[in-house]
Amino acid sequence: MKQLFAAISVVLLLSGCSPNPPKTVYPQLNREAEFRGGLSWNPRSGRVITSWINPGGTMTTLYGDDTAVNYARSHADGAYPAGAKLGAVTWKQQEDARWFGGRIPAQVASVEIVVAGGPYEKYEGSPLAAVPGSDAQRAQFLLQQRAAVMP
Amino acid sequence: MTRMRFLTGTGIVLLLIGGAMQAYRPKLESPPVTAEIQAPDEVRQILRQRCYSCHSNETKLPWYDNLAPAYWVVRDDVLEGREHLNFSTIGAKPEAVQRGMLFESVNTVQLGSMPLPRYLAVHRDAGVTPDELATLRHYLATPPAQSAAPAPAAAAETQFQHWIASNGKPMGTQPDTQVQPEWNGVPFLPEYKNWKPVSSTERWDNHTMRQILGNDIALKAIADGKIDNWPDGTVFAKVAWLQQPDGKGGITTGAFQQVELMIKNSKTYASTEGWGWGRWRGDDLKPYGKDAAFQNECISCHEPVAHSDHVYTAPIGGAQ
Repeated sequence: MKQLFAAISVVLLLSGCSPNPPKTVYPQLNREAEFRGGLSWNPRSGRVITSWINPGGTMTTLYGDDTAVNYARSHADGAYPAGAKLGAVTWKQQEDARWFGGRIPAQVASVEIVVAGGPYEKYEGSPLAAVPGSDAQRAQFLLQQRAAVMP
Repeated sequence: MTRMRFLTGTGIVLLLIGGAMQAYRPKLESPPVTAEIQAPDEVRQILRQRCYSCHSNETKLPWYDNLAPAYWVVRDDVLEGREHLNFSTIGAKPEAVQRGMLFESVNTVQLGSMPLPRYLAVHRDAGVTPDELATLRHYLATPPAQSAAPAPAAAAETQFQHWIASNGKPMGTQPDTQVQPEWNGVPFLPEYKNWKPVSSTERWDNHTMRQILGNDIALKAIADGKIDNWPDGTVFAKVAWLQQPDGKGGITTGAFQQVELMIKNSKTYASTEGWGWGRWRGDDLKPYGKDAAFQNECISCHEPVAHSDHVYTAPIGGAQ
């Protein structure tokens, strides 16, 4: 009889009362990593050229407009046609709550926009605000990044 | 009196049914342990206690699991569990594969999908404790003595030169060679590279960097904040590159490793959680797997995020 009750209660338990999964498995946007503040161009309206991880734990993705992306994917020299627009977004990182072993974007640390043959702009802070001055060396560094292979 | 009689009658009937159930008893074999997982004792101890009942050839069932109908359920779970991950045989696989499975194990525990919630409902003390989880995480966060060698720069260079020479044509033109669809029939979509960014990941567990891209339907759902149930026609691409140290403390994208697609169609892909799954590896984009069963790997790995329509990535918000 005891065994029968055990068997019955097992069946009852199997059909219900399971522990709730953690909050992180439910749908959510990464709001922390989105842009706050005005930019002269939204780099994330473009397409990915490449990405890198910086020493000190930030991550950067370099985006480009059509002209920039088409050029980067067929040339290695970084000699973009005048007017091609590139944007580098650098995020602080956070552990991916859904994947131990992954780091994903947290707050935006900076946004840099460089136009081939044109100006270099940098935005920092929250909300993002333009940092005065130019940095020709940094602009050149961004233009020299090769496209990540996407066959 | 009538009531008493009724209860006794019901009891006897149930007892007879319960007894009859024990007659049907398919076997649960215990094959030999051929190659146990390679891990330090304190890690193996946790796995033995928490995972081995279903994920090894050393299954030990408590008496109440040996009673039908519970036995039938547990037996199915054990057989399925062993098929997905068997700690008694995984030691034969490369170290990176063993570590990869441990990362996946830790993640299924953290996301509450392992041990199976219905198993935990009965076996109240079977869950991994916070201390045990910390031990597993600490072990995995410590790089192995022979850390994975960085991707050879020369190979990445050759791949890049080949790519810009042959594939770097203006957008919209067909590639020279037709990439084969996956074994399950899911087509390769070469236009993935022109989709917009959804998010990115640094994967220190397997030394890759990833970009998650989405087609227009995906991007619209993100802009509208409607991501509970992705609309049919949504496609995500996850592109992975090997990490390449830049020599100055940073990491750049090295050789292209693979691109994976998730194509949403609640009718066409009804039997695979509403998504068509595919993975193409190497710069020749070879479909992953040996047959259509490869997709079981995709589905079981994405099961912990079933509440998010099986999508792991939390898309970065905002209009694009």
